[in-house]
Amino acid sequence: MKVPGQSGGTMEDPSSQNHNGQLGPSAGGFCAENKQSDEGNQRIQYSIPGILHFIQHEWARFEMERSQWEVDRAELQARIAFLQGERKGQENLKNDLVRRIKMLEYVLKQERAKFHKLKYGTELQQGDMKPPVFDDPGVAEMPVDGELPYTSVSNISWRQGRQLLRQYLQEIGYTDTIIDVRSNRVRSLLGLNNNAEAEENLNNSQPVSTALNGNEPAKTPKKPQQHSSLTEAMMMDTEAAVMANFEFLAQADVDLDDDEDMSDDLDDQADDDQDDVKTARRKGKGNDGLGDDVDAEAQVVLNELILLTETEDNTDGRHQSDSNEWGSGMGFQAGTSPRRGLNFITDEEASDSTLGLGELAQLTVSNEADQFGPLSSTTKELRKTWHAKYTLRSHFDSVRALAFHPVEPVLITASEDNTLKLWNLSKTVPSKKSTSLDVEPLYTFRCHTGPVLCLAMSTTGDQCYSGGVDGKIFCWNLPNPNIDPYDSFDPSVLACTLDDHTDAIWGLSIHKQRPQLLSCSADGTVKLWSPQSKIPLLSTYSSEQDGVPSSVDFVRDEPNRMVTAFSSSHCVIYDLETAKPVVRLESSQEVLNNVVGRQINRVVAHPTLPLTITAHDDRHIRFYDNTSGKLVHSMVAHLDSVTSLAVDPNGLYLLSGSHDCSIRLWNVDNKTCVQEITAHRKKFDESILDVAFHPSRPFIASAGSDALAKVFT
Amino acid sequence: MKMADGIAILRRNKPGTKAKDFSRWPDEPFEEMDSTLAVQQFIQQQIRREPSNIVQILTPPDGQDEGVWKYEHLRQFCMELNGLAVRLQGDCHPETCTQMTATEQWIFLCAAHKTPKECAAIDYTRHTLDGAACLLNSNKYFPSRVSIKDASVSKLGSVCRRVYRIFSHAYFHHRNIFDEFENETFLCRRFTLFVTKYGLMSKDNLIVPILEEEAGTGESEA
Repeated sequence: MKVPGQSGGTMEDPSSQNHNGQLGPSAGGFCAENKQSDEGNQRIQYSIPGILHFIQHEWARFEMERSQWEVDRAELQARIAFLQGERKGQENLKNDLVRRIKMLEYVLKQERAKFHKLKYGTELQQGDMKPPVFDDPGVAEMPVDGELPYTSVSNISWRQGRQLLRQYLQEIGYTDTIIDVRSNRVRSLLGLNNNAEAEENLNNSQPVSTALNGNEPAKTPKKPQQHSSLTEAMMMDTEAAVMANFEFLAQADVDLDDDEDMSDDLDDQADDDQDDVKTARRKGKGNDGLGDDVDAEAQVVLNELILLTETEDNTDGRHQSDSNEWGSGMGFQAGTSPRRGLNFITDEEASDSTLGLGELAQLTVSNEADQFGPLSSTTKELRKTWHAKYTLRSHFDSVRALAFHPVEPVLITASEDNTLKLWNLSKTVPSKKSTSLDVEPLYTFRCHTGPVLCLAMSTTGDQCYSGGVDGKIFCWNLPNPNIDPYDSFDPSVLACTLDDHTDAIWGLSIHKQRPQLLSCSADGTVKLWSPQSKIPLLSTYSSEQDGVPSSVDFVRDEPNRMVTAFSSSHCVIYDLETAKPVVRLESSQEVLNNVVGRQINRVVAHPTLPLTITAHDDRHIRFYDNTSGKLVHSMVAHLDSVTSLAVDPNGLYLLSGSHDCSIRLWNVDNKTCVQEITAHRKKFDESILDVAFHPSRPFIASAGSDALAKVFT
Repeated sequence: MKMADGIAILRRNKPGTKAKDFSRWPDEPFEEMDSTLAVQQFIQQQIRREPSNIVQILTPPDGQDEGVWKYEHLRQFCMELNGLAVRLQGDCHPETCTQMTATEQWIFLCAAHKTPKECAAIDYTRHTLDGAACLLNSNKYFPSRVSIKDASVSKLGSVCRRVYRIFSHAYFHHRNIFDEFENETFLCRRFTLFVTKYGLMSKDNLIVPILEEEAGTGESEA
């Protein structure tokens, strides 16, 4: 009986060491009893084999008890993990519901705003009209995922995430092979390259863990499997399997793997089913979103992307905690834990932006992130919507033009009531209603004796120029934006008068680098001024064949050129020095067939590109290449004449206003309409007369014939 | 937009329009104006047609709400008074007209400040016009241009009283400017008739003898 003796001898240590809690004292008691019986002449009754047998028996009993205890422990842990999983499921459900509620609220708000606008004609300013931004569900769970007993939870979500990602990738045309190859690479990057099967068992992390934990009792890797099955029956099954394993274990661990694989299969199936259900549900959700509107759908997609990337992060957490759990020594654990901490930090970063996933996450999903990156960022950009924030009411008649200060939140409006007004947007009048903020003008510029038609602000922001029906251009020194509105009259506000034009002045443009001003007038001329000089008029341009100029602008990328549009719908680029046409933009030829209603109301030069944009009476906006003069793009932009254009300082967006009462924001790059805002009422057949971008702040503004100007943020 | 001779008339001042053609389009019948600014359109159309025909200008279309009618007229007055203010800016200096006076009887205090103060005439003029612009555009008192609360209509009287002082100052201290302006716009005449017709000011305050003058010279006063 050598073997039992040996085993008995070896058992002494583990029993006293491992079970020094409850079992320790009782074991010790037995040993003492043994010794007593040895010494107390009981040798005849208790032979060595008998004692050994007794010890063996006792050991077996302890071992049974121990395993029973282990099983209980596993069971309880399984229960905890199961509840965790359930909680997570509930949380996901809750997040989903919250998201839907927010979506509905947003839609309701929009509806209300629409209704309000239709009913009262003013923009309803609500608390926030931004589409709801959803918290990442993963953030709250991050610490949980990191703790050892809960690894299975992240395991589940990782799988689900994986499954979902897979589905999305398939939808956008990724083949399985690519996904598999990629996932394999991901695994190798994560240091899990020891298993080739992983490729096949994408959903099944079981072999990974078993391979990792070769020496350990096989019951432990079982745990994640148990939890992943959500039904009680499945739990029972696997528990039974575990029990069976324990019994085998007591004898020998030979047939272990087979059993395990069997239960694996069961579990995997359960997992797959679960995943299918999950994805189906998500699919349904996506469709709902699509039914609502594109924005909502984009929201859903984006949100799920966030979820996915979060779960990708969880993956990382899982592997780490795996290695922690199965790692042989404390040293290893200590070595990995700081890294885990680091991951938490990156996770928090990830919660801020979908793209900033942190170091490891980038490793895992770098290419996928690239795939989704532009998508999500563009949707985000698109979602930057403008809302009416300030209504500037003080003019008595149509507001013809407006211009922003280059830096301050200050603008000037020019109106047919013969005045210009200065507004400081940071000085609002508290209004009782929740509608848009009211601003009162700080200063009224009076000098024009007829309607003021156009306006230009100097690049420094200390002067502005206005032209009117009276044929005069006035240069104004801007009063301090913090001036008392009822201060005494200061004649020095009017710096100078340029009165060489003999008819209404319809367009002004200021040079970005030089103190030069262009004006175009109904007298048929375009004049170049240097307002600061003693003899301000530098030169006069006119064109017999083209007729009356309607709008003028400096060409921004060619400092010595200007582009002039004529009411005959011709558009010509002139050299300022030689006063000769350089390029005739194609419209001149194109238009001869149909001159009616093609008048150009506004021409603007792109701030960086050799591109000229024209707003036409025939509802079109046209884009021309300045070097070739060719028409680059032509689009029906509005339901009525396009009256005004403005390009943002970066040249990415184009703003247009029209007599159809709406302003539209366009993406210059792909010529798509980003947003439409109905902004003003009609007076006679006119509605919106000017639009503007703030050169450095997120403000846009529109001026209308309803005597209002509106500023959007 | 309506059809005439098969071509749509678009009442628009397109860029490039000459000054003489500015807002010179065929009249639109009031019934066909469907805009919320119909009353303003109608008044401006009447003025453009014949600025001297103040009776015609002050005759509301049938069924017109009187509050809105008065309100829109007062807006128009304040707007046109800007023209008088521009002329006064060149002639009425704080050094010469240190107080807002008409006859020597009254000195008017500027109500634009927290505590009314003795502003120079030109400042009084500007402040009064700015204040009137703010009040008449106030979202609180005049949120709509198609219907006006009775409480807000009562505000119109005080605005009338204040802006009338600009006429009276110009008449008594800058007569040549006043006459020049009046001959072009007939504004003081129209204003006097307006406040009389709608009882917005007491007769005692109407110190510019403009309508009497005309009656004296035998012109139709209506």
